Amino acid sequence: MSSDDELAGRLRAGDQAALRVAYERHGAAVLYLAQRLLGNRADAEDVTQVTFVAAWNGRDSFDPQRGTMLGWLLGIARRKAVDRLRSAARDEKKAETVRAQPAPVQAVETPERIVDRLVVADELDRLPAEQRRTLELAFFDDLTHPQIAAVTGLPLGTVKSHIRRGMANLRRRWEVDGAALGSRSADSSRAL
Amino acid sequence: MQHLDPDRLILLALSEELEELTESDHLATCPDCRHEMRALRDVAGIGSEVQDLRDLPAPPEHVWHAVVEGIAAAPAPVADLTEHRARVRRPRSRWLVPVLAAAAAAIVAVAGTVAVDRFTGRAPDEQVTARATLNPLATVPASAGGDALVLADGQLRIDVRNLPLTTGFHEVWLLDPDQPGKMVALGNLPGTPEAVLPLPPGTDLNRYRVVDVSDEPHDGDAAHSGNSLLRGTLTR
Repeated sequence: MSSDDELAGRLRAGDQAALRVAYERHGAAVLYLAQRLLGNRADAEDVTQVTFVAAWNGRDSFDPQRGTMLGWLLGIARRKAVDRLRSAARDEKKAETVRAQPAPVQAVETPERIVDRLVVADELDRLPAEQRRTLELAFFDDLTHPQIAAVTGLPLGTVKSHIRRGMANLRRRWEVDGAALGSRSADSSRAL
Repeated sequence: MQHLDPDRLILLALSEELEELTESDHLATCPDCRHEMRALRDVAGIGSEVQDLRDLPAPPEHVWHAVVEGIAAAPAPVADLTEHRARVRRPRSRWLVPVLAAAAAAIVAVAGTVAVDRFTGRAPDEQVTARATLNPLATVPASAGGDALVLADGQLRIDVRNLPLTTGFHEVWLLDPDQPGKMVALGNLPGTPEAVLPLPPGTDLNRYRVVDVSDEPHDGDAAHSGNSLLRGTLTR
């Protein structure tokens, strides 16, 4: 799998196949974020399209030193989706509809939290298989370390060290790309 | 002050082990370790929410086609060229790009007039209603180019030179520069340097004013490949 560094280089050189690689890798996450924010499939597909066109036009601004390709794309998508929500709100105002605003369906789910989840999910998929497996059992099945050792047949010490390393990797990635801490990667795409 | 062992903090954050008294005391008084602990708990919390995100469905293929079309209809190549040349680490001054673009546009305008004179001189009976000089995009050899004339009888006469070889074919489009993705397909270029293509009746040339020549693969996909070679804006 080509790295973000290599992809960035190919994008800068104007290689559209590199954009296709980024799209195949991250298009699903971009669409998911847009759909969660906009609550509407057609708008979400539009924002996905606009995001990748903006990524192409602004490809010089992607810096792999500051964040991953996924973090960068999600930063663009988030702004495009928020722009759309704002302009929809403006249209609503213009129409001067007097009716009460319906409460947003997912008011508790912030864009930041969705971005965080997508970034952590992506990192989880990148972990070495055993690290990933032990963390899945801990996160999703709520198993204790001894239970994980029993299920996987790994020695308890190995389970613990997989969990420790896996957690350290997730945390590092979250700090680089996560939205809650004020995504640094988002800075480089602010103008898009 | 001796901080808690980072590995130990991870186990505590996962609530896997109970804090010992000395550890509780330390956490109560050490903001660094508390911050560390909170961050790890956040990560664990997020981690437990990602199960549904593992195999997200890919966007439908028509979204990708729209991306490709959006890129094809991106701003004029002149701006792209200045972007590439001026790619420096410091912020570009705000006026430089418009000035370069304006200068380039002036050159294009002059070159366009010359080309059209040559053209119309050869076919004096043809009435030209709009014209465009076609310039190569950044990825295309600089020697490539062409001219396009809209004739009063509703046809587009196009002449191209030094196009890169293709394993597919070259197709001519009219793009709406204000609405990425909106375009009209005019037809493909024969092997000859010159071709006359009919414009669909009723085409709004004020809107679809960018002539675009693309390289299309034989993939049975009628949409724009996104691989534009030449482009120019029609002027009257």
